[in-house]
Amino acid sequence: MTVQLLHYRAWQGAFRRPSWGVWPIARVALGSLLRRRLFWLLYAASLFLFLMFFFGGYLLDWAVTQVSQAPIKVGNVTLDTERLVRSMRQTLQVLSGNQDTFAYFFNFQGTMVMIVLALTGAVLVGNDFTFRSLPFYLSKPINRWHYILGKCLAVAVVVNLLTTLPALGLYMQHGMDEWEYFTNVAYFEESGMGRGPASWVLLLGVLGFGTILTVFLSVTLVAAASWMRRTMPLVMVWCAVFLFLHMVAVILVDGLRYNVHWRLLGLWNNLCLLGYACLGFDHETIWPAPQPSFLAAGITLGGVMLLCLTYLNQRTRAVEIVR
Amino acid sequence: MPDLLESTDPSRGDRALEGPLVRAPLSLVNGARIANKSESLEAKDSAAAELGPKTGPPVLFFDRVSRWYGPVIGVNGVTLELRSGITGLVGHNGSGKSTLMRLAAGHLRPDLGAVLVEGRQAWTAEAKRHVGYCPELDTYYEEMSGRRFIQCMARLSGFSRAEARSRGDEVLELVGMADRAQRPLAGYSKGMRQRIKLAQALIHDPKLLLLDEPLSGIDPIGRRESIQLFHKLAGRGKCLLISSHELEELEKLTDHVAIMAAGRIAAVGPLTQIRDLLDDHPLSIRVASDQNKVLATALLDCDDVVGLDRLPDDALLVRARNPRRFFQRLTELVISEHLEISHLESLDESTHDVLGYLLGGKS
Repeated sequence: MTVQLLHYRAWQGAFRRPSWGVWPIARVALGSLLRRRLFWLLYAASLFLFLMFFFGGYLLDWAVTQVSQAPIKVGNVTLDTERLVRSMRQTLQVLSGNQDTFAYFFNFQGTMVMIVLALTGAVLVGNDFTFRSLPFYLSKPINRWHYILGKCLAVAVVVNLLTTLPALGLYMQHGMDEWEYFTNVAYFEESGMGRGPASWVLLLGVLGFGTILTVFLSVTLVAAASWMRRTMPLVMVWCAVFLFLHMVAVILVDGLRYNVHWRLLGLWNNLCLLGYACLGFDHETIWPAPQPSFLAAGITLGGVMLLCLTYLNQRTRAVEIVR
Repeated sequence: MPDLLESTDPSRGDRALEGPLVRAPLSLVNGARIANKSESLEAKDSAAAELGPKTGPPVLFFDRVSRWYGPVIGVNGVTLELRSGITGLVGHNGSGKSTLMRLAAGHLRPDLGAVLVEGRQAWTAEAKRHVGYCPELDTYYEEMSGRRFIQCMARLSGFSRAEARSRGDEVLELVGMADRAQRPLAGYSKGMRQRIKLAQALIHDPKLLLLDEPLSGIDPIGRRESIQLFHKLAGRGKCLLISSHELEELEKLTDHVAIMAAGRIAAVGPLTQIRDLLDDHPLSIRVASDQNKVLATALLDCDDVVGLDRLPDDALLVRARNPRRFFQRLTELVISEHLEISHLESLDESTHDVLGYLLGGKS
C-alpha cells in the first residue's frame, strides 16, 4: 500500500478567528460530562426541586379552591376558611412567583449546583491537566485565554442548566397563569400577593442572579479544578471555600458578634447578596441580618475572581515546569 | 569534536553555524554507502530530491534563543534556520530537544532571542496556523472517537463545522485511519494513536510539522507508510522537524540532522558534512578488490589515509581523514590501476556513529 496525498488538499480558504475555538473546547468538555450517568442522576435530583416550585403554585391554588368551596369542621368547631386561605397564602408566599420565589429557588438550587460542580469539575477541567492533553489545545491557533474561556463556557452551561433555565421556566409558568405578571411591574403590590417587582424588572433580576452565579462559579471552578485536578481533592477544596468559610463567617458574626464584614468570608452569602440586589431586595430585609453592603460583597467576589484568573494565567500552559 | 560542540557559542565565530546551518543539497552522498545500505540510500536520495527551495525566508528560525527552567538551562543560545525538507533532531535525553520543539510549537517563550515561524513570533496564533505539532504524549479524552477528536482539532484550527468534517475525513484517509476512526481512543493501540496524532497535526495543512517520536510504537508496515508520507509532505515543500531516538528509522527519513547536546545545537546539516568535520575521528572504510596488495600500497601513499589494516577475510580496513578527498583519490586509483572493487562500505558514518563521536561516545 502506498501513501496517497491525492485526497489531501492544500488549504486555500480562510481560517476563522481564534475566538471561534472557544465553543469546540466547551463542547468537548460538555460531551465528556454528558456521558456520565452521575451527572444525569444529579441533574434529575435538581429537577425535583424545580418541580416542587413548579407544581407548588398549582397545589396552593387547588388547596385554596377546596378550602373555600366547603366549610371545614373539626369536631363541632367550624374553621374560618378565609383566615385559613390567607394564612396558607402567607406561608406559601414563596410560591407566588415574586422575588422571594426566585431568591429561594436560586438558594436551594445553588446547593445542588455546588454539589454537581464539585463532582464534575474533574471531568470538565481537571482531566486536561491530569492527562496532560493541554498541548493538543495550545498547539492550535488559540491562546490560553481562549482555552480558559472555553472551559468557563462549559461550566457556565452546566450552571445555567441547573439555575437560570429552570428559573426562566418558573417565570414563564407564572406569566402564563396570569398575563399581567408579564406586563405590570407593580403586579404584586396591586394584587396583594406578595412584594417586589414583576414583569421585565423581575426577568432582568432572574437573569442577573443567574449571570452572577455563572460568572463567579465558572471562574472559581476552572481555577480550583486546574489546581486540584481529581474529584476528591476538588470536593474538599470546594467544601472548604464555600462551606467551611461560610460556617466560620456565621460563627464570627452571628455567634461572636464580630464586625459584619467578617460575613464576607462566606462566598456563597456574597453571591446571594448580589443576586438579591438584582432581584430588587431591600438591603435591610435580607436575612440573616446584619449583612455587609452589596458593594463590599461585589468587591470581595471580584477580588476572588481576579486571584483565580491570575492563577489560571500562570497555570494554563502546555508545558508543565517542575522546579 | 569539541570544536563542533563549542562552536555553537554565539559569542564565537563558529564553524558549525556558518557551514551547515543553512540547508545544503544532499549531493554529497558518496560511494561509501553502497553495501547493505541501498534501501537507506534510496530513501535519502528521494529526500534529497524533495528538499524544495533553498531560498526565501526560513519556515522556522531560532535567533540566539535561550530558555531557562529556573536555574536549569533548557536551550542555550541556539541559532537554527530551517526551510522545506526533513530535518532530524537527535540528542541524548535532557539535551534540550523537547524544549526546542516546544519553543517552535509556541508552547514556551524564549527568555532570550526570538523564535519565528514564517516570520512571526512562534507563540502567536498567526504563527501557530503554520505549525502542526505531534507531541510525544498521546492522552486525550479516551471516550472520544478518533473522528470526533480530529474534527474537534479541526474546529480549533479555524475550520467551520462542515469543513472540519470533510477535512477530517481527508486526513484520516491519509494516515490510514478512515476505517477505524469511529472507535473510541481508549481502544487504540500505540500505533493507531500515533496516526491519529499525525492526522491532527496535518489537519490545517501547516508549513511546519513538528513531530516528536512519530515512529515509536508503529508496526513495520506502518513505519514504511509513515516514512513515505513524510517524504511526500517534504516533496510538497513542507518543513518537517522530527525528533527521534530511533536513529536507524531517522536515517531512512533524512540525512539532514540537527544534533543537540547540553542545550546547544552541536551540529546541523547533512550527516556526511558533519561527519567530514570530525577530524579527530577518521572515517573507517572497508574495501576489497581483486588486487588488495596493490590497492593497499597505493592507499598508503595517499595523504588522507591515517591507518590501514588487513581484515581476516582479506579485505582492507582503511581509516581516512577528509572522506570526500579520499573517495576522489580512491576513484582515481581504481581507474589508473585497473582495480575491480568487490566491496566498499563505510563503517562509522551512520547517525549513531556520528552522535557517538560528537557527544562523547554515549549515543
